[in-house]
Formats: sequence, structure tokens, C-alpha cells
Amino acid sequence: MVYLDNFRSTMVAPEVWAAMRTAAIDEYAVPAAFTQCGTGAAELVERAQNRLAAAIGASQNEVVFTGSGTEAINIALWGSTWAQAVDKPEIVTSEIEYPATLAVYKALEKEGYQAHYIKVDGEGKYDLNQLSSVLNEHTAMVSLMGVNHMIGTIEPLAEAGAIIADASQHVGRRIPYHVDFASALQTQRLDVDAVKADLVSFSSNKIHGPKGVGALYVRKGTKIRPITFGSESYSPLVPGTPNTMGIAGFDKAVELLYATFDKDVEYMLGLMNRLATGIREHIPYILLNGPDGAGRAASHLCYSFLFIEGEAIMMFLDMDGIVVDTGSACAAATLKPNYILMAIGRNHEQAHGSIRFTLSRYNTEADVDTALAKLVPIVERLRAQSTIRPAAQ
Amino acid sequence: MAIKYTAKVIEHFKNPHNIGIIENADACATEGSPACGDEITVYLKIDKATDRIEDVKFQSYGCASNIATGSIITDLAKGKTIDEAEAITWKQAADELGGLPPVKMHCSVLAVDGLRSAIRKYKKEMKGIDYDSTLDVKTVTEELKHVLWPPVGVDIITLKMVKYIGIDQGAVRVEVSVGSDDKFLDPTVNEIIEHVSKIRGVKSVNVENV
Repeated sequence: MVYLDNFRSTMVAPEVWAAMRTAAIDEYAVPAAFTQCGTGAAELVERAQNRLAAAIGASQNEVVFTGSGTEAINIALWGSTWAQAVDKPEIVTSEIEYPATLAVYKALEKEGYQAHYIKVDGEGKYDLNQLSSVLNEHTAMVSLMGVNHMIGTIEPLAEAGAIIADASQHVGRRIPYHVDFASALQTQRLDVDAVKADLVSFSSNKIHGPKGVGALYVRKGTKIRPITFGSESYSPLVPGTPNTMGIAGFDKAVELLYATFDKDVEYMLGLMNRLATGIREHIPYILLNGPDGAGRAASHLCYSFLFIEGEAIMMFLDMDGIVVDTGSACAAATLKPNYILMAIGRNHEQAHGSIRFTLSRYNTEADVDTALAKLVPIVERLRAQSTIRPAAQ
Repeated sequence: MAIKYTAKVIEHFKNPHNIGIIENADACATEGSPACGDEITVYLKIDKATDRIEDVKFQSYGCASNIATGSIITDLAKGKTIDEAEAITWKQAADELGGLPPVKMHCSVLAVDGLRSAIRKYKKEMKGIDYDSTLDVKTVTEELKHVLWPPVGVDIITLKMVKYIGIDQGAVRVEVSVGSDDKFLDPTVNEIIEHVSKIRGVKSVNVENV
């Protein structure tokens, strides 16, 4: 199998699996004080907190582990929005966020919060002027993302952070700034102080860690209330017994990520360019979705293949052992074209023909060449069958 | 949960029967639109003495089920008289494929509509039979029987989701009852507009969720 759907989820790294096994078999006690085995499990959690915290310029107590990236987003957005004492509260995000963020915003709207969805340009970059214009004394939350999960746009987090800091000073109260870093962690470094983030969410399964574990950074002093309640844990935000097996796996994944980070990003960039060049050279009538070059994460490549539909392309590739994703309405449970592609100005037809390739450090040149060798005839064949074709033909 | 195609759908998707164009076809019709995500064109070669379909081909812009339903309806139509072929239903086409996921049932409707449109064009040209009926509530209701509610794959008339049809000088108003944040509201509204717009005399279509 050639797996080019690494944003959805990545393969668990063998070292990660080994660490999880150790945690499950040898360190199964509940993290606690005074007993040797409980202390061992507690140290496992602390080690993981320390490692992620060190990587993002935070301190140990500012990191908690959650049940997923989605849960981290929920704790951050509900917990911190509720904790703000603001009249007629308003919340700000963009129209191209990850579904978890948008779902929480829709739910908050039903609770009476007024939401602003800032627009993006044709490459998916935030309109920072609009961000600046919507911030005011009523703003109770701003949530943005590091890398767009569909088209790979690297978003201007630090510039947005500076705007939010300015606005905070103006209103005399810190406006909380949440960053969804799940799709960025694999290729972007993060310094929470440089970005001026108060809350950052992460997901383990995007970086070769296990599913069922995420993390949330909460800057010391950030107003936040728990949204779930239970027995005492290392943080009131995540009550109950910690998932030590998942945390051990996530921790190992973080260790591996940063051990060879720059080399891996460079490597993935090479693969991505090979794939993009191959597509451009062999397939006419295509549109690149998202920025070309340095503005796009090394993990992401999304093309629209005109005159054909993405589910058909995806299924043919799947039958040939190549796994990708599509923004086609036909493949969506909602029968709607991908909202991110529509937000960057694509029409329905262009969105229908989109294919997203997402790479990881485990992909090889052979993977890319195999995918290209299969993709080119599939596109030709579907175009030959299609009711629509270039005007010249 | 997991949406899966039957082995027969996959087979027709991989190796569609009757794909392509008939040069000098006796009739040809296109249904759907790229903006709605799927489109099919059906070509017919008809023996004028017997009204039997000698050859039928199709082209498809769409997903696997669009291609598979195009393949199966052309199989079903080949060799039949135009009256027999016109009577093929989308349920029959889906059954022939061993079933379709409810959310994909509309592909079968589109394929059958394509075949019927081509036959009706032929009948109109060769026999002077005009299928265009006057714009009234009955015609709109009949057309709305081609709009399926995706979660169950049953039409919105049978499901009693259409609460009101109003017609005023070519302006058609359709009131449907769907949860305001239902994820299928937008695609269903688009499909209602696409179908009702096809009726002769329709100048505008307004769909309201009541």
C-alpha cells in the first residue's frame, strides 16, 4: 500500500508501539504518589508533559493530555470562552478551520455567542485586516490554525497573535487566543511566546503516535474552566485516570519528531516537489489548491483535476493500493463540496475534482513514483469517459 | 458509518459497459450538471421499424455509483423497445447492482432520467409525442418524486417532506420541512431547484424550509 493520506492519520511508528507496550505491560498503575509503581506512571506523564512543553517553549504544568485533538479543542474553546466575563460575548475564527473548531463555534452560537468567521484569500491565507477589525471589548475567543488541513496553507499565527495582543491591550483584558496546531506539528516548529498563544491543541495520530490521545497547552494565568468533571488527576482540566499507554506513545512520537525534524521536513519537501512536478508535467487541466512553494506545508499537496470527479479518482487509486483523500461532494457524508476549496474561490466542479495528498517521513520516492504512474492513466481514462471536456477538444 | 459499494457496483465502475459516444445517434440527452456533482449523457441508436434500441452508450461525469448506474441502465435498455426501456425504474437499476447506499441512490435516478430523456426526445422528434406538460402542482409533484432524501434514499414526496407547492406566473415556490441545521438541507434544496427548473414554463424556483 502507498499511503498518502497522512493528515487523516499516520502509521504508528514501531518505536511508539514499543513504548506503548511497555506502558501497558510494565507501567500500568494509575499515576499516583508514594507507591513505586504509581510514581513510575506519574513520571511517565511528567516526562511527556516536559518533552512537549520544551519543544514549544512552555513549562511542564502548562501541558495536559486529552482524549484526542478534538477533545483538546473542545476543552480550550468551551472552557476558556465560558470563563471570560464579557458582556454580549463574541467569538472569532476563520471559515476554513478544522471541523471540530467550527462545530464548537456553531454550538456556542446556539448558546448566544456572536461568531465572526474571517475570510481567506485565494491561497487560504487569513485576512488579518478583517481579524483586526472584528476584535473589540466583547471578544471572548479567537481560534486559528497553524496549517490548513486541506490545502496546507501555513497561516500567519505570529502576526495574528500580535494583532490579538494589541487588541487585548486596547480593551484592557487578555483576549484568549487558541491555536489548532494538529495539522502543523509534523512540519512547523512552534514557540508559544513568539505566537503569543494562550491555548494550543495537538493530536498524536498526526505524528505517528496512537489515536485516542491529544494534548492542550494552556498558558499559565489563562482563564479556563473544566468542561468535564471527575476524580482527581494531574490537572482539573482532564479529570479521571490518564491514558498512560496513549501518553507514552504520544511522548515517543514527539521525541522521534524532534530528533530528526529539519531533516525530515526537507525530505518530505523533496518528495512533495517530486509529486507536484510529476503531476504538472504529465496531467493537463489541473489547479493547485493552496500556495505554491514556501507558503505551503511540506506535508500537503491538493490538486483539482478538471472535468472529472474526485471520488472516482480516489476509488481507482484505492483499487491500485494508493490511499488519498478528496474534497468531492460525492465522497462527503453531507454531499457538499469541500468548504475550504469553496472558501478559496473554487467552484463546485473544481472542488469535486480535488485530490489531497498528505505525506509523512515514512513515504519514499518509490511511493511517489508509484502514485504518479497510477494516477496519470486514471485521470486520462476518467476524462475519456466524461461528459465534460476542454472547450478546444 | 462505513458506506460500501456492492461488488457489482465496483465491477461496473471498474469496467463500465457501453461507455462512449454513438456518432449519428438517433437521440441523445444529458441530465444533471457539473455544478451538482454529477452529469450523464445517454446516446441511443434505434431501429425505426421496430422501435428497438439497437445500441446505447453513455458518458459520465461523476462518482463510482454514477458510472455504475450508467453502465447498468444501458445494459438493461439494450435490445428493449423504447417503451420497455422507458419503463425501467431507478429502483430496478439499483436492484440490478445489488443495491446502492441510500446517499448514492440519486445516481440511479439520474441515470434513469438520462435514459428516459433520450427516449422522450426521440419520441418527440420521430412520433410527435410531446412530454412537456403544463406547469401545475401535479407536474411539480411528479418532478419532485425524482428528488431523494439522502439518508434513506426515498423521494421527498413519499416522505411527505414537501408541505406546499405554489405557482404564480412561472415562479414556483416549494416549501419543505427539514431541520434548519440538517446537513442535507443545502444539497436537497439545490436538487429541488435543478429538477423543477427543467419543467417548461418555470421562470424561477424558490425553496423555503418551513
